[in-house]
Amino acid sequence: MTRVRVLMSLAAVAVGIGLWFALTAPPDALQGGYSRLLGIHPPSMWVAFIAFGVTALGSVMWLVKKTDRWDRLASASVEVGVIFTAIGLFTGMVWGQAVWGTPWDWQDPRLMSTAVMFFVYLGYIALRNAIDDPVVRARRSAILGTIAVVQVPLVYFSVNLFRTLHQTQSIRPDGSTMPDEMLLAMFVNMGAFMVLYAALMVARIEVAKSEAAAASESTLAGEAVRPPRLSEVEDV
Amino acid sequence: MLRGVELEIRPGEAVGVAGPNGSGKTTLIRTAATLLTIDHGSVEVLGSDLVPEELPTVRRSIGLIGHQPSLLPELTLFENLEHVARLSGVETSRVGHALDVVGLADASDRRAEACSFGMKRRVEIAHLLITKPLLLLLDEAASGLDDSARMLIDALVGSVRSRGGGCLVVSHDRSQLTDLTTRVLALSGGRLETVP
Amino acid sequence: MTFWRQAIEIARVDLVVERRIGNTLRITLPFAVVALMVFPIALGLRLGVVSTIGTGVFWALAILFGMQVALRQSATDTRERRDLQSLLGLDPAARFVGRVISGVVLMIGFMLTLLVGMVVLFDPEVPSGGWPVLVVATMAVAIGLTELATLAGEVTTGLSNRTVLASLIVAPLALPLVIGASQSVEALERDAGILPWILLLIATDLALAVAGVALARPLEEATR
Repeated sequence: MTRVRVLMSLAAVAVGIGLWFALTAPPDALQGGYSRLLGIHPPSMWVAFIAFGVTALGSVMWLVKKTDRWDRLASASVEVGVIFTAIGLFTGMVWGQAVWGTPWDWQDPRLMSTAVMFFVYLGYIALRNAIDDPVVRARRSAILGTIAVVQVPLVYFSVNLFRTLHQTQSIRPDGSTMPDEMLLAMFVNMGAFMVLYAALMVARIEVAKSEAAAASESTLAGEAVRPPRLSEVEDV
Repeated sequence: MLRGVELEIRPGEAVGVAGPNGSGKTTLIRTAATLLTIDHGSVEVLGSDLVPEELPTVRRSIGLIGHQPSLLPELTLFENLEHVARLSGVETSRVGHALDVVGLADASDRRAEACSFGMKRRVEIAHLLITKPLLLLLDEAASGLDDSARMLIDALVGSVRSRGGGCLVVSHDRSQLTDLTTRVLALSGGRLETVP
Repeated sequence: MTFWRQAIEIARVDLVVERRIGNTLRITLPFAVVALMVFPIALGLRLGVVSTIGTGVFWALAILFGMQVALRQSATDTRERRDLQSLLGLDPAARFVGRVISGVVLMIGFMLTLLVGMVVLFDPEVPSGGWPVLVVATMAVAIGLTELATLAGEVTTGLSNRTVLASLIVAPLALPLVIGASQSVEALERDAGILPWILLLIATDLALAVAGVALARPLEEATR
């Protein structure tokens, strides 16, 4: 638990620093103060992509090794990834309303593919919750986790593949399209969000370990059932 | 369909009814529990002709353990017993003790879906220990139970009889009935016959 | 135990079970939101059309998916469970009321969340003064649909295909609710009175409540 506290404290400091950078970055000439969402929206999605990639890694490793820690890694990463995706979608809609005049554009492939990805991983969580047997749960979610990761590159590259309202990548091989202060704010927040991701992952994995330990304690057959106290039947 | 069934259970008596699968044992039990109505004849339970006004009172004096457990899978054993205690109008403070007496104190916070058939049966027995029915109806209640759980069933039957209540126990296993009851009848072809 | 205490106890346990299974929050609601997204895609993303049909799609999905929220209890209603409740002296009408209470809590949460999703995704054209009417109509539909589904669940209890059968019973009988809800908003567009439609919703809810309570005992006897 000490490790979790240390990481959470680090994450709080990192996020605080990131927010400071985001709030003190100069506003965009066209978007005004909304450009500061650069400190939340892209980092959230970046972390979500990494999280789902980690899930795929954990899933493949579980299928190969069949050890619990890979399953814990995969499932914890999905839960954290879904949270960051939700933050990304929400901040994206707020930003879209401000800049495009609408929170949602049906014809935007980045939005649509992100929403689809979000629901697929919600389905992953629902699938895990529906299965009691830990091995069956690990196997089925490992298969889904391995397949579902295909969406991540589709979402990321959708802005390049299709015409979209959404901004294309800000950082390209030939340089950046953003002022340095904004770029710095974005990178600092990416780092901060990665620390937050790590902290949440460690916390969630610790909880999963405790849950598994508690479950294994109570699965020893017959331990929880004692002989009845027949002489006290009348006293109930 | 049952036809020509004549059965009387006197106070303090435990009557066993043996019969093969599909012989109407559950129908008989549920009729005695006032859950099924008959087309011909009469049913009198605990001195009542089962007129609608008297039905709720009569039913509260009946204890039934059916073929399958009646617990809610998502609730813990404690919560299941607490729920039925509340609906029975019984103090919920007795729930913990009842679970302890049936040997489930250590499993009381386990969800019913994670418990064995025998454990769920014990919870149902605990419920009847709390509500102290005057008419006890057991439908294959001892089937699939270990020895200590069967002793609980014995103790439950003994408790009801000692209070002047009556018991009806049905089973396909005649040997179970011989140990548990004062007389055994056979259900065959929709009729009850005395077993020599 | 008094009638209302029995009803509250039934509702309480039902909500505890739902909190543990989480079907409404984790499965039905996300599924309904995905369904919200299917419509515009199926319509070829013609945004003008999408905006116009937004509230209509909401009512359709609210009814179709809301049924599943309200019918969830009938799936776990075993004969042994009902026998036990009868012997405990549980008034069948109290069971009906209790289930409606828990169902309405879940249904209102479900429908309001779906409403927010529809607003964000469809950017619907709602006439001036329409939002309060939409919210009131949503609450009325939630209550009526829950009552209807609970009744249908009682009618089909114990049957192997009860969920599908109950849905088949609920869907057409929910039409007065759909009509009242959709017309109450459209009446604003036409500058016509909304009162008749709101009264239709209230009357339907009341009629279903009375029917549920009055039919509870006969239904219990009929489904043994």
